[in-house]
Amino acid sequence: MLIMSSRASVAITTGSRDAAAAGGREALDGAGASSTALSSVWWWRPSRAAAIAFVLGLVVTAALAVTSLVLYNRNEDRLLTLRVRELGLVLTAAVPSIQTPLASAAELADATNGSAQKFRAFMAPYVGPGRQFASASLWPLGRAHPAPTVAVGSAPALASQPDEARLFFARAMRTQLLNVTAVSAAAGPGLGYEFSTPGARHGFAAYAESLLPRDRRSRLESNTAFSDLNYALYLGRSRRSSNLLVTSVRRLPISGRQASDVVPFGNSEFTVVITPNGPLGGGFFASLPWIIAVFGALLAMAAALMTERLARRRQQAEQLAGVLDRVASENRQMYTEQHSIAQTLQRALLPETLPELVGLRVSARYVPATSGIDVGGDWYDVVAADDQQVLLVIGDVSGHGLRAATTMAALRHAALAYATQDRHPATVLAKLSEFVNSGVHDYFATVLCALIDVDAHRLTVASAGHLPPLLIDRDGAAFVTFDVDVAIGVTRDVQYHQTTVSVPPHATLIAFTDGLVERRGELLDVGLERLRHTAVERQLGLDDLLSKITRDLAAEDHRDDTAIVGIQWQA
Amino acid sequence: MAGLDGGRAEVVIDARVDPSGTPVVTVSGELDMSNASSLEATVASITAEGPDRLIFDLSGLRFMDSAGIAVLVSATSKVSVVQLRDPSPVVRRVIELTGLSGVLPIEP
Repeated sequence: MLIMSSRASVAITTGSRDAAAAGGREALDGAGASSTALSSVWWWRPSRAAAIAFVLGLVVTAALAVTSLVLYNRNEDRLLTLRVRELGLVLTAAVPSIQTPLASAAELADATNGSAQKFRAFMAPYVGPGRQFASASLWPLGRAHPAPTVAVGSAPALASQPDEARLFFARAMRTQLLNVTAVSAAAGPGLGYEFSTPGARHGFAAYAESLLPRDRRSRLESNTAFSDLNYALYLGRSRRSSNLLVTSVRRLPISGRQASDVVPFGNSEFTVVITPNGPLGGGFFASLPWIIAVFGALLAMAAALMTERLARRRQQAEQLAGVLDRVASENRQMYTEQHSIAQTLQRALLPETLPELVGLRVSARYVPATSGIDVGGDWYDVVAADDQQVLLVIGDVSGHGLRAATTMAALRHAALAYATQDRHPATVLAKLSEFVNSGVHDYFATVLCALIDVDAHRLTVASAGHLPPLLIDRDGAAFVTFDVDVAIGVTRDVQYHQTTVSVPPHATLIAFTDGLVERRGELLDVGLERLRHTAVERQLGLDDLLSKITRDLAAEDHRDDTAIVGIQWQA
Repeated sequence: MAGLDGGRAEVVIDARVDPSGTPVVTVSGELDMSNASSLEATVASITAEGPDRLIFDLSGLRFMDSAGIAVLVSATSKVSVVQLRDPSPVVRRVIELTGLSGVLPIEP
């Protein structure tokens, strides 16, 4: 029955372990399956943390991109304003190059009384295709109908427009500056410039015209300082298309980012409107907001992915921890079950009842090791030999497990059988020794055998390597001293000795196995003294005393089983 | 076996032959039922060669329970002289109290 039980317990062990492992695998697979399902719907159901990380990343990115864009725009506007001023300065600087030849020609005409020959000779280098002017002419001032007296190059367009000419020269009389007007010649639109000696009412005015492109479109040459700009140049302050002189764009008015400046030009003004061809501050700064936006969005996505990954890992770890927890608790439960099976088995091998004799109380405790699932080899027996005598046997088979338990059972029953033949403790031990030595074995057992005479208050004791019992009376507690013989199963032909001691009234005898006093790294005597001290502390009833000893000495984590038997004289 | 959660005690076993040809088994640490079988295996391999004498050097042994004693005792049935070298007081007392001083004498 013992073997059957043990096998059953082993079968339970392996069976349950496999089941637990399979359960663990299943649960792990389950976790894997759920993570697969999770990844397939990831784009639809990211974790909250990942969504937050993504949104935060996008917000920061947007803020940076907008800031960068604002800075870029401000910078571009500032640069454009600077450029339009530069352009204005360039235009203003052009005035002398027009005014100087005309002023010289006017003065020359005044000095030569309008010599056509001198005028022609002087102006000829300035006039012609590819030169500064398309035509130059000399106009006497103070006439009701102004007309040129001499002309170089093509015919002046102003000459065919008498009304405009009159107004123009009337204005010329009032100004000391270069007089500018728009003209439309047969060859196309143009600009007319006039200069006369300041204050002269009857002198001569030198007049020149330059042609504008027929469609008024002209691109700035690519090698100029302004090639990165588009522009529109108007005569006067108005940006009406009728005032347009020349532009580099197809469609007017110029839209988008632009800057304008009004530049004084002679007695008139030019309005310059410019717009950049491309970013003035460089392409990198123009693309910076986009670079920030794209990289930021990518970073936000990466952060979200990373967060998602961490969140999923955590989830998996939690799931795994849950599974491991379950497996661990199953293991604990299994272990507890096996431990309790072992205890049940152990108890089954111990006596169910203790003898009841007049004048004697008998009590016992068995404390299994707190750890371990094996059955120990400790046992005890108290049997009544007759009305007056009780035989106590307590022993400990070395080792643990099935072999120790079966040996213990065999020794226990053999001891009881020998005791019925001869109740002398030394004889019982000698027969046990013979019994054990008859077979092959690699264990030994310590056995204490005591014959107790109740009325005679006598104790006859023999020990095969077993620790001595403690005798407690009103004066104190002391271990019974006697010769200890060799443990059972060590050598053949041992002569066992027994000692008889008298027992004081109301004395208590405590017999025990080494688990009660044995501690690692400690001399056995220290443990024995601890027991003696605990037992003598207070006079207690037998059950209370055993409970106290058990609680104080065997309650801590101990690896060995412990058996305690107490016998108390009632008189 | 001390159970699933009761860790094994640490024991170091070293077997040598001294200049006189006597096998010496040095056992250090703690010897109990969780590891006595390893000493048992060592002893079995030595006794199989049939030496006249076997010495257990126990100078480094801090603890020994009955399972450990059983291994020493079982050696006495296979080798005529088994002696202990320098056992600690703790170990010595265990041997005394189990009545084994005569079976497992200390090396003179």
